[in-house]
Amino acid sequence: MVETLFSGLIHGGVYALAAVGMSLVFGVTNVANFAQGSLVAVGMMTAWWVGSSLGWGLVPTILAVVLVTGLVGLITNLLVITPLEGRQPIAALLGTVGLGQVLDNGMQLIFGSQTRPFPQLLPTHNLHALGISFGTSDLVMGLVALASMVALWAFLTYGRTGQAIRATSQDSQAALQMGVPVTSIRTIAFVIGSVLAGIAGIFIGLFKTNINPMDGNAIGMTAFVAAAIGGLGSIPGAIIGGLVLGLAEAVGVGLFGDGVHDLITFGTLLLVLILKPSGFLGRKADMGKEPMTGTLPEAARPIRLPLWANLGLAAAALATPFIFSDHLAGIGTQVAIYAIAAVGLTLISGSAGQTILGLAGPVAVGAYASALLTMRLHWPFTLSLLGAAVIAALAASLLTFPVWKLSGHYVAIATIGVGAVMVAIIRIWEPLTRGSLGLQGIPLPTFLGKPLYTQQMQYLLDLIVLLLVLAVISRIRSSHLGHVFEAIGEDGQAAWSLGIRTGAYKALAYALACGAAGIAGALLAHQYTYIDPTLFNPTMSTLILTIIVLGGMKSPTGAVIGSLILVGAPELLRILPEVRIMAYGLVLIIFIICRPQGLFSTKRRA
Amino acid sequence: MVITSKQHRQHRGTIRAMVALMTAMAMAGALSACGLGGDQGSSAGSSDHVTIAAIYPKTGLYAEYGKMFQQGFDLAKDQVNKKGGIQGKRLNIDYYDTQSDAKQDAAVAPKIASDKSVIAVVGDYSSPASSAASPIFQQAGLVHYGFNNSSPTFTNSGDHVWTPQISQKTYQEANAEAVSKRAKKISVVYIENDWGKESFQYFKEAAERLGVQIVYQSSYLPDSTDLTPILIPAKNAAPEAVVDIGYGPDGALIANTLRDKLDYKGPFFGGQETKEFLSLTGANAQGAIITGVFSATGTKDAKAKAFVKSFEDRYHTVPGNFEITAYQAIKDLAYAGEKTSPTREGIQEALSKVKDFPLYQGQGGTFRFNTKTRRADTIKPILLQVDQGKFKQIEE
Repeated sequence: MVETLFSGLIHGGVYALAAVGMSLVFGVTNVANFAQGSLVAVGMMTAWWVGSSLGWGLVPTILAVVLVTGLVGLITNLLVITPLEGRQPIAALLGTVGLGQVLDNGMQLIFGSQTRPFPQLLPTHNLHALGISFGTSDLVMGLVALASMVALWAFLTYGRTGQAIRATSQDSQAALQMGVPVTSIRTIAFVIGSVLAGIAGIFIGLFKTNINPMDGNAIGMTAFVAAAIGGLGSIPGAIIGGLVLGLAEAVGVGLFGDGVHDLITFGTLLLVLILKPSGFLGRKADMGKEPMTGTLPEAARPIRLPLWANLGLAAAALATPFIFSDHLAGIGTQVAIYAIAAVGLTLISGSAGQTILGLAGPVAVGAYASALLTMRLHWPFTLSLLGAAVIAALAASLLTFPVWKLSGHYVAIATIGVGAVMVAIIRIWEPLTRGSLGLQGIPLPTFLGKPLYTQQMQYLLDLIVLLLVLAVISRIRSSHLGHVFEAIGEDGQAAWSLGIRTGAYKALAYALACGAAGIAGALLAHQYTYIDPTLFNPTMSTLILTIIVLGGMKSPTGAVIGSLILVGAPELLRILPEVRIMAYGLVLIIFIICRPQGLFSTKRRA
Repeated sequence: MVITSKQHRQHRGTIRAMVALMTAMAMAGALSACGLGGDQGSSAGSSDHVTIAAIYPKTGLYAEYGKMFQQGFDLAKDQVNKKGGIQGKRLNIDYYDTQSDAKQDAAVAPKIASDKSVIAVVGDYSSPASSAASPIFQQAGLVHYGFNNSSPTFTNSGDHVWTPQISQKTYQEANAEAVSKRAKKISVVYIENDWGKESFQYFKEAAERLGVQIVYQSSYLPDSTDLTPILIPAKNAAPEAVVDIGYGPDGALIANTLRDKLDYKGPFFGGQETKEFLSLTGANAQGAIITGVFSATGTKDAKAKAFVKSFEDRYHTVPGNFEITAYQAIKDLAYAGEKTSPTREGIQEALSKVKDFPLYQGQGGTFRFNTKTRRADTIKPILLQVDQGKFKQIEE
C-alpha cells in the first residue's frame, strides 16, 4: 500500500505541475485554456528534440523549453486570446480548442506521428528507500513544483507586475481605472502560464518515458480536472488538486483495476464539487456572475424567418434525399445526427446560458438505450427512439441533480464530469452493455417494419427526426417556458430575484437537451450497427458545442448550419489531408474572432 | 424611398424565403427521376484499371499506424502492377483519411460503395471505425477486408465482411501453451477493449486447462499514463511470470514500469512485433516472449524473406506487424481477383473458394478462409523472443 500511495503521489505531482499554469491563466484572464495540454506537449516535444537529437543536458533543455513555450504562448496570446478579450469567456474557451488542434497537428507535422522514448535527462529510478524505488527526476520535480509555487506566490505578492496581475484577476475594470495596463498584464500571465506548461512537459516526459506529439489532449483534460478540484485560479489549489487526483487514482485503480479509471477521475471531480462547490481553495463565485456561461455575444439574436419560408426550407430539405447520391446522403446522415444533438443544446447553452461540455454522455446513453431496447426487448425502432430520449433525459437529470446548486464555471466543469461518468458506467456495467466489447449487430432503423437499408432512406429518416426536433425546440422557445429559460440566460440574478428557481429550470432545459442528444445517439447506433464506449469521447462533446457556437447559440436553425459546416464540410473538402484538421482549427479561431454571434444570428442593436 | 431598418430586414427575409421556395420547387421537380434506392452507378465494364479503397488514419492519433499501412499497401500494389496487374487490369489504391474516426468512416463509405471501379475495401485501423462502415459495404455487395480487425464480432456485420486476422482463440491458446512451459503461477494484465477482453478470456481458459494458476489479473485503459497501481499488486502476488495481453505502446509502458520502477526481474510475456515496441523499451525488452504473426529478422519463409528485402530496399527500414498485414491484404485481394475476376462479385467468390492464398506471416505456406466465420483460422502464430534489440523466432 505504501508503494501504491507513493506512486500516486508522484503521478499527482505530474498532474499538479500541469494544473498550476492552467490555474494561473484562469485566475487572471478568466480563460479556461483548453490548449494548455497542447502547450505541455510543445514543451515535451521541444525537450525531446533538444534532449535526444542535439543531446543537450537538463539545464539547456529547460532554457530551450522556456524560450519556445514562452514564444508560442506570446504569439498565440496576441493572435487568439487578446482579440477575444472582453467577450464572453466561452469565446476564448472555444478559441483555445481551435488553438489546441492547430498546435497538436502542427507538432505531428513537424515531428512525425510515432511514439518515441523520452531522453533520460535525469535518472528516473536510481534511489531506493522503504522498499520503494524512485529517481532524482521525482525529487527535482517535487522541488520544481514547490519552487514554482513559492516563486509565483512571491511574485504575485511582492512584485509590481504580480500585484497588477492580482488586481486584474480580482476586477479588471477597476484595475484598468487604476492605471494597470490590463492587456499587457494578461499577456504576461498567459506567457508565464505557457512557460509553466512547458516545464511541466519536461517532467511529464521523464515520468511517462514514452511520448507522442498528440499526448496534449489527455494531459490537458486531467490538468483541468486537477485545477478544478483545487479551485480554479488558486495556485496552491492546483497543486493540492493534482496530488488528490493522483492519490485517488492510484488507490482506486489499485483496488478495482484500471477499468474504473475514468469513473474515479471524474467521480472525484464531481464529489469534490458537490462537497466544496468551488474546489478546495477556490474563491466562492458570486451567484449572478457565470463568466464561462452565457451566450457568446450578449447582444445576439437569431435571424427569424417567416413561417412560410421555414416550411419552404423544410420541404427543400425533405426533397434532398431523393436527389442526393449515396455519398452526399451518407454525409447528410452524419450532419443531421450531429445537428439533432446540437439543436437540443441551444435550449440549455443558448437560451438558459449554461455551457455544457459533456454532451457525449447523454448521446452514449441514448445509443445504448435504443440498441438494448431493440436487441433485448425487441421493441420496434420508433418506440426505442422515444425510449432513448426519455432514458437519456432521466439519466442525465439523476446524475446532474446535485450539480445545479453549483455556480460560476463549476457547473460547466461538472457537466464534463457527468458526461465522462455516464460513459464510464456504460463501460463497467458489463452484464447489460457488454462494456468494452461493444454491441454488434444492432438492427438497422425501420419504418413500419421495413428496414431502411439505403443511405437515402436513412438520411430521410434523420431529416424527418431533425425537423421534428426543430419544431419541438422552436415551440418550447416561443412558449412561456422558453421565455423563462431566456430570462435565466439573460440575467440569472434578476431571474432569481423574481422568484424563478434558476437551478430547477436549468435542470429542465438540460434534460430536454439530453433527450435530443439521446435521439441523436439512437440514430447513430442503428446506422453504425456497432457501438462501444470509445465512440463517445470528449471530442464529440466539444464538436457539438462548437456547432452551436458557430451557428449561433440561440438559433436552432443555426445549429443545423453549424453542423453542415463542421461535420459536412470536412467530408466534402477532402483535399490535403495532412492539414485538413489544422485548417479546421484555424477556421474555428477566425470565425470566433470575426463573427462572434455565430453565422445565423444578428447583433442586437441597443 | 427611405427604407427603415425594420423594413429592410423584412425585405431581406422575403428574398431569402423566396430563394428557399424556388430551390424547393426545383428539387421537387427532380423528384420524379430519382428515388431512395441508392446509386445505380455506372458499370466498371471495359475500364483498364480496378481500385481497392483504403480507409485508414493518415492524420490524428493513429497516424503512425496509417503510415505503416500505406507503406505495405503501396509496396504490394506496385508489385502487383509490375507483374501485369490483376487479369491485365492495373490496380489503383484510393486512400481515404478517416483518422480511424467512426463518424468519418460512415461518411466516406457511401462514396466508396458508389464508385463502381472499387472491387474491395481494406481498413480501418480500429474495429469501431471499421464497423461503422461495414453495413454500407455489405449493402453494396462490396468486400470489406478488415485486415487489422481482430475484434471477435467484427465479421458479424454480414457475409461480405472478412478478416485475415488470426482468431484470438488460436492465438491465445498458443500464448498460454508457451507460458505454461515456463511458469505455473502468473499475473496477467490485459488491455481494456473488445480485443483485450475477449483475448484474455481465451487465454484464461487455455492457461487453466494447462494447469497454470492466475494469481492476479487486471485490465488497463489504452491511454493510461501510469500503470504502477495495477502492476504493484501484480508483482506483489509473487508470480513466476507476468503476462501482458495488449499492443505495442502499452506493452512498452508495462515492460518499462515493471523493470524500472518495480524492479521486477522475472520473465515477461507481451508486447508487439513492431520497431516501436523495441525502441520504446530498449534493454527492458530483453528476453520478452511474444506470440506473434511475423518477424522480419526471424522468418524462415522464402516469400516473407523476399518481402522483407523489397521492403528494406524501398523504405530503408525493417517491416513489422502492421506493414506485413497491410502488404498481405493487398496481395490477398489481388490473388483473389486473379483466380476469379477483378470485380466485386469475383473477390467475394474467391474468398470463400480459393484455398491457397500465399501466406507471408506465421509459419508461411498458404492459408484459406473458414467460410462460416470469414476468418483465416488456418494461420498459426509463431513465438518470438527479444534478444539484443531484435525479434528472434524460437521453436518449442
